Amino acid sequence: MGSLTALGLVLLILMIIVGGKQGISSFLSMVVNFGILFFSIVLIAFHMPPIIVTVVASVILLSITIFWSSASDNASTTAFQASVLILILLIAIIIPIEYWARVGGFGLEDSEELEGLSLYVGINFTKLAICTAILSSLGAIAEASIAIASGLDEITTQHPKIPADQLFADGIFIGKQIIGTAVNTLFFGFFGSSMGLFIWFYGLNYSLGDILNDKIFAAELIAIVISLIGVVLTIPGTTLIMSYKLRRKQRQGQKTESDH
Amino acid sequence: MKAKLTSKMTWVQIIGVLLFCLVAVFLTAHDDSLYTKPIFQVTRVQNGKVTKMSDEFHNTDYYHQQTLYGHITNGKHAGEALTIQNSFSNSGAMDHEYKPNQKLFIILHTKPKLHATVKDLKRDVPIVLLLALAVSLLMIVLKVHGVTVIGSIAINTLLFWGAVKLDHANNGAAVIPIFSILAVIFCFITLFLVMGWNKKMLVTLSAVLSATAITVLLTLLVFGVTHERGMYYESMQYVTQLPKPLFLAEVLIGVLGAVMDEATDIVASLATLKQERPELSKMQIFTSGRQIGKSIMGPLINVLFFIFMAETLPMTLLYLKNGNTWHYSFSMNMSLGMTSSLISGIGIVLTVILSSLFAGLWIKGDER
Repeated sequence: MGSLTALGLVLLILMIIVGGKQGISSFLSMVVNFGILFFSIVLIAFHMPPIIVTVVASVILLSITIFWSSASDNASTTAFQASVLILILLIAIIIPIEYWARVGGFGLEDSEELEGLSLYVGINFTKLAICTAILSSLGAIAEASIAIASGLDEITTQHPKIPADQLFADGIFIGKQIIGTAVNTLFFGFFGSSMGLFIWFYGLNYSLGDILNDKIFAAELIAIVISLIGVVLTIPGTTLIMSYKLRRKQRQGQKTESDH
Repeated sequence: MKAKLTSKMTWVQIIGVLLFCLVAVFLTAHDDSLYTKPIFQVTRVQNGKVTKMSDEFHNTDYYHQQTLYGHITNGKHAGEALTIQNSFSNSGAMDHEYKPNQKLFIILHTKPKLHATVKDLKRDVPIVLLLALAVSLLMIVLKVHGVTVIGSIAINTLLFWGAVKLDHANNGAAVIPIFSILAVIFCFITLFLVMGWNKKMLVTLSAVLSATAITVLLTLLVFGVTHERGMYYESMQYVTQLPKPLFLAEVLIGVLGAVMDEATDIVASLATLKQERPELSKMQIFTSGRQIGKSIMGPLINVLFFIFMAETLPMTLLYLKNGNTWHYSFSMNMSLGMTSSLISGIGIVLTVILSSLFAGLWIKGDER
């Protein structure tokens, strides 16, 4: 048995111990997400338009991550709507930034690895960088929107008469706590995944200017900062949708009361 | 009245953000004199002939020649006009099409007369703009607390750079000890900034540290049992030292944020619960911790999964387009990212168990 399979098995067992049925579905969501990711790469390799493939895949990936979590129906529907909204906003930021910064493709640091590979494959690497940035942010958006939607759903279940303005304030309050820790998740993930690169920079005496303009570093930094912006935007986004729904529900409630 | 006040505030904020970003962009766009490398401003471009080319795997691409006219903006030759030849392909994996108004880093040759080759694009302006946008959004949503969050990132970045320095001084011989100590310091500072100095913080700290330590030991155990079959360390990118310890250190640091995020959540909720209902037993506290944890762990594992996997996309595609099999392309590019995701997942699940356990054992109802 390979190490990858063995680690997967250990994870599955631990998840079942902690979460039971929920553990199995969390594990499956990761496996299915991987399948969709790989399938999208294959589609792009067959010259399907990369950005469209990625956007469609992203909506599916978000729905799997959100609906297979243990959040209540109302919470997960709201979280999904909010995360798709944020996804659209992020794409609107990502596309101009990537075309401006041109971080697609490979840098001089990749030379050794690229030896013997043909680089002229007829796929636009700037578009691929856009896809990479979109995909990196999905997990962060999904997690933030689930956390806020679940918190607010709990509040509306316990106080169905809560004014929508009050709910909005509560959402921002919950959101503040989430951002503080989500920032850590993202930045440590970034430190971990680019540690080799940092050691490389130090070893070869890159100056701060060299690092800031380095293609590979810039690409990774853009992806992480975009995810961070996504998390921050998710807070008002999810809260707005939740309080809009509450207002509509309360209005309907009043209507049925006055009908009787 | 109140609504009016808040909408006024929002306008002030929007103008503030725009001003801040504009100033940041303006300053970065005029920082050429800070660079020692010569910078070239493109003013006019003439596109030349186009060649169609195809490789042995039937990939077709177009190769363009272009002439760039412009002048140097910094250093000894500032102001001097220059003409540079450039070539680029449609896919642009290692080359770029340059356009007027872009600034480029160039390599100057003075013999026999002044001429130059393009090195890379100057891309600090969009990077700084994005950072400015993120900082201002954080400040708007978090207000004063935003300073703590940004400060915590700044401190951690400096510490990380210090550890990289130390690692390099040892030629990578002590990468695991160095980054383990760094992990402990990271946790201490970050949790101190988030929770302050109290018992809750100590419970969280011990849960985070022991979960991370057990994860690393468990990983080593699995590697030992499976003889690391299917671990393609040679496929690691940007490696300048022994790859296996570096890989472990990368995963260790990478998972730390997620584990802290989760432990903070669980311990804080359990402390509040115990305060409201002091009659709950240790076992009941543990069970509620598990309940909270099992709903957070799935989404959290996916956060790291997407970070680790998305960046493998361009190289995997290049492998596929170079006639490699799906299996080989996966092994050489995605399998290490997948391994990192799985190890992180193990850390995240262990944190649920340990933080619920420690909270149950050590948190009493009379303290916050």
